[in-house]
Amino acid sequence: MVAMPDAITTQSLVKYYGKRRGLDGLDLAVRPGEIFGFLGPNGAGKTTTIRILLDLIRPTSGSAEVLGQHPRDGGAALRRRIGYLPGDFMVDDGQSSRELLTHLGHLRGGVPREHIEQLADRLQLDLGVRIRSLSKGNRQKVGVIQAFMHEPELLILDEPTSGLDPLLQQEFLQMAREARGAGQTVFMSSHVLSEVQQSADRVGIVRDGVMVAVESVDDLRRRAVRRVEIRFDDPVPEEVFAELPGVTDVRLDGSVLSCRLAGRADPLVKAAARWGVESMVIEEPDLEELFFTYYAEPLDAA
Amino acid sequence: MLRSVFGKSLWDQRRGILIWTLAIAAVGVLYAAFWPLMDNPEMAAVLEAYPPELLNALGFTDITSPAGYLGATSFGLLGPILVIVFAAALGSRAIAGDEESGRLDVLLAHPVERWQVVVQRAGAMVVAITLPVAALFIALLIAAGPADFASIGAANLAAASLHLGLLGLFFGSLGLAVGAVTGSRGLAWGSIALVGVLGYIANTLGPSIDAISWSRSFSPFYYYSGGKPLLNGVQVDDALVLLACSVALVAVAIIGLRRRDIAV
Repeated sequence: MVAMPDAITTQSLVKYYGKRRGLDGLDLAVRPGEIFGFLGPNGAGKTTTIRILLDLIRPTSGSAEVLGQHPRDGGAALRRRIGYLPGDFMVDDGQSSRELLTHLGHLRGGVPREHIEQLADRLQLDLGVRIRSLSKGNRQKVGVIQAFMHEPELLILDEPTSGLDPLLQQEFLQMAREARGAGQTVFMSSHVLSEVQQSADRVGIVRDGVMVAVESVDDLRRRAVRRVEIRFDDPVPEEVFAELPGVTDVRLDGSVLSCRLAGRADPLVKAAARWGVESMVIEEPDLEELFFTYYAEPLDAA
Repeated sequence: MLRSVFGKSLWDQRRGILIWTLAIAAVGVLYAAFWPLMDNPEMAAVLEAYPPELLNALGFTDITSPAGYLGATSFGLLGPILVIVFAAALGSRAIAGDEESGRLDVLLAHPVERWQVVVQRAGAMVVAITLPVAALFIALLIAAGPADFASIGAANLAAASLHLGLLGLFFGSLGLAVGAVTGSRGLAWGSIALVGVLGYIANTLGPSIDAISWSRSFSPFYYYSGGKPLLNGVQVDDALVLLACSVALVAVAIIGLRRRDIAV
């Protein structure tokens, strides 16, 4: 079976702004139909990479392909198949969202008005208000709508959740999942994993202009450390739990045992079952913590 | 108006265009209203007292004839200044202004080529410059009867207006080109100011100072008023020079913008 070509690939992408380094040999491969979270702190090169993919800037060296074409060669025809949300969504703010979205829809060859209205309803955006009078979150909604409205094959979104309140972040992530369901590919950057982890299939971590790691979110989750708290009926021997595989930081406070658990919960659950358990709490894994271990390690370890 | 970059540019600037159109037409009417005051022998005698070189430098040649008066006022000083400033604002904003405010990213990420953006915005600039110049022409045409300078004739008024429009187009295209090549609105304005001042000096002082008389043929103002279109009608060669330079500058803008990175 021939695999479908990647939606986005970059090879040794290097970008200098004068003497300042933006990218230092970034390799990236985004599979078709996945949601890829592009993570890294501010200044790591996320926006630089994204703007190269849109042909807004050109790489100093290395190459990029989007939907099988070089961004520059692909030109307008390629961009027709892409939805893009800039990190800083700036438009002429004297117009209403409806006017802007109608215009951008025309540039894309026409987007049905009902479609724009539907998206606006969903994100609770009043299209008639002048953009100048919109809050930061509402402006971001306009940006999200213009990226999604023509149902592009590929969505390239730079910090899409920034400025959105938690409820709308959820709605946005749902939209991203639906896009994936419809066969669209979503490539989105964020500086916080927690904003994308519920939806992303894979995450890539960029630091100082290079990709440090690419992980599937499921793998991350499996490896992630969870905090566990077990409330027993009576005090239990601490050392029994300290010996269990994957269990660390065991502390006993009266009859309450707390520890950290990496990997499967099975040994811990079976060990605990020997005593009477009043309650047991296993927290959602803190992927953020795992994520930041990459930043804690110096790059030149090799 | 929302269908193309061209239409949208005009639509977005509709208020500015309207205000400038009214202002420039008003200048024409005001000057015309003052003409009857100039049209008397005493004024001619007052002007006699000034050295002709100074009057030349101020553009006040033959100011007591209708054509000379309009050539010095509506078409000599304030008219061109207003049209050039308006065109400079349009040209420098077309690419560099949008880029500096970060608005160019959204547009260029859409399925339009960079050359299309430049051409369509240049086209919008042509229309935007045409409107105030046409308004000036109409205002003067209407004022000509009451103000008693109908002797100039509609054709020559139209010719002078055409030259004025082309002068504006030249400076607008200069701003567009410098803005597109550098991404800096400040540099676009700066280059317009530089070319404007040097060009004005070359055109007005050049003829009376032998050492710099050669420079006059490099001045856009020479091709604007050197052939006295108010007296002699359209100067085809001069008009074509301004037009060709504008087209060349738009081409420079396209090449410049296509080659470079868009600033964040």
